[in-house]
Amino acid sequence: MAILEVENVSIGYNTKKGYLKAVERVSFTLDEGGSLGFVGESGCGKTTIGMALMGLLPPNGSVREGRILFEGKNTLRMSDEEIRKIRWREMAMIFQAAMNALNPVQRVGNQIAEAILVHDLSIGKEEAMGQVEALFELVGIPRDRLRDYPHQYSGGMKQRAVIAMALACHPKLIIADEPTTALDVIVQDQILGEIKDLQKEFDLSIIFISHDISIVADMCNDIGVMYAGQLVEFGPREQVFESPAHPYTKALLSSFPTVTGKKSDLIPIPGETPNLVVPPTGCRFCDRCSEPGPSCKTETPAWVEIGPGHKTLCCRC
Amino acid sequence: MELRRYIVRRMIQVIIIFFLILTVLFLLFRLAPGDPVSMMVDPDMTQEDAEILIVQLGLDQPIGVQYLIYLKNFFTGHFGFSFHYGEPVVDIIWNRLPNTILLFTTSIILSALVGVFLGKIASWHKGKKTDSLMTIGALVTHTLFLPWLALILIWIFAYKFGWFPINGMISEEVWLDPEAGFIAKALDVMYHMVLPLFTLFLIHFGAYLLIMRSSMLETLKEDYILTARAKGLTEKVIRDHHAAPNAALPVVTSVGLSLAFSINGGALTETVFTWPGIGRELVSSVSQNDYPLALACFLMIAGVVLVSNLVVDVLYAYLDPRIRY
Repeated sequence: MAILEVENVSIGYNTKKGYLKAVERVSFTLDEGGSLGFVGESGCGKTTIGMALMGLLPPNGSVREGRILFEGKNTLRMSDEEIRKIRWREMAMIFQAAMNALNPVQRVGNQIAEAILVHDLSIGKEEAMGQVEALFELVGIPRDRLRDYPHQYSGGMKQRAVIAMALACHPKLIIADEPTTALDVIVQDQILGEIKDLQKEFDLSIIFISHDISIVADMCNDIGVMYAGQLVEFGPREQVFESPAHPYTKALLSSFPTVTGKKSDLIPIPGETPNLVVPPTGCRFCDRCSEPGPSCKTETPAWVEIGPGHKTLCCRC
Repeated sequence: MELRRYIVRRMIQVIIIFFLILTVLFLLFRLAPGDPVSMMVDPDMTQEDAEILIVQLGLDQPIGVQYLIYLKNFFTGHFGFSFHYGEPVVDIIWNRLPNTILLFTTSIILSALVGVFLGKIASWHKGKKTDSLMTIGALVTHTLFLPWLALILIWIFAYKFGWFPINGMISEEVWLDPEAGFIAKALDVMYHMVLPLFTLFLIHFGAYLLIMRSSMLETLKEDYILTARAKGLTEKVIRDHHAAPNAALPVVTSVGLSLAFSINGGALTETVFTWPGIGRELVSSVSQNDYPLALACFLMIAGVVLVSNLVVDVLYAYLDPRIRY
């Protein structure tokens, strides 16, 4: 059963330069216990999707069209109070801890206990702290660090604390937005391993957002490639990796090195992402595409089915 | 434990700085026009009394010895006699200091509390009518000229309506009345304090409001506020428990500095309201060439500035766990 269905969602921000169309007509489904990863470069709209799912768009942002069905209920129709109650208890978020995801002047343990207490009114502070201790054990932070402040933690510990916080209310869905971006590769590997284990243990559904396609491939069963606010390719990991259809996915894959695969030159993608206040007509990737067709500039690309569950938004496929 | 070590270290610094100030003041008073004898010896004294005082102060000794005597007098609490009052300077200071502390500490705490509260509200309604009204109000009252405001308030509330006394701190009939108990006396002081307190409050709360407002706006952009919102906390909890305590930190600094400078900066207020405090004493001692009293006032101000800075630093270290100098 699908835990999350996103249908034709467009999201934009009011900016000084005009209405910025950050996300255009994105649709996808996530099955219970499934994992889905979004990749794309900065500003492609992947974080915006995550925020919209949580109902946390900034005041100048809004969902222009579409539906977000969480367990069959449209979260966009919910009142602030209704969505507040779902947040963290049903869907939680793993933030990038290197940024100030933890309040610097409050003890880490208290910040996690706070999340438990706000959603479960039947338990007291003591009991909540007990649960936090168990969470710390789960993510591998020593118990005696419970009363420390965030600045006393290392980067990896902070990230573990943020993960513990996300698990605090036993949510069904976790949105992980660049959870390991600022960590060194060894810690990054440990943390990703832990997230994978936890996903299995608690049967979590995960949406993983990253600019690093290798991490997403490692973590997720399905991959969505985003470019300039659009989903351009979507499919099972193996298919997207082995037979990428969209020129952007191909370019993305050949701009990352692999350790085990065959040695090849890294090919950077020339040019820059288009302006999303006045997006270009036709295919948005056309100007940077290595094999543009004659109609790409004018014709709006449509979804093309490549294989089972594998589709792409390209005129030439 | 760490905090205690920090406090001890800061206290040692304070003592060293105070010692330096003590020395600078000694030199300044020796550099001031006129010879030290005419400065430290009351012109109205008889010849014999003056001789005794000159020996006591060591004014017939070389400057190095004078300095040592000055230090000894300071540490044994001998500040000499005021020319003007003829009383020991120490008595005058101890007499005036509580009055100043009462008025200014109350006014600063009151305006900080109100300013922080209103600043929080204003930031929460950023760009709306509440915010504009509060910001404009704060700017207007904060930029008023204090003596002018004080006089206007006296004119309206004391002279026109007669609701409050025009000046002073106590009514003689209450304090001379043997029947009057502590409560009656306290109420009398509070009654006299209303206008000066209100004046200081009007001038100062705007600054705190503006500091708190901008600090709140910065804090609300922080990632941990997004985390708090994602956790499903209510907006009130986010505002009061996650944003406001962090945003109030700069206000603490500002309060500390205000406390430090209220002692002398209050000279205007104390003069307009004839409030018997240190600020007014400082102004009159300087204008009357009452050197012993002026010296003691300066030392007092230095001491208060140092101590309130120390208190702010310690408070800051307590409020913000990241700070360990």
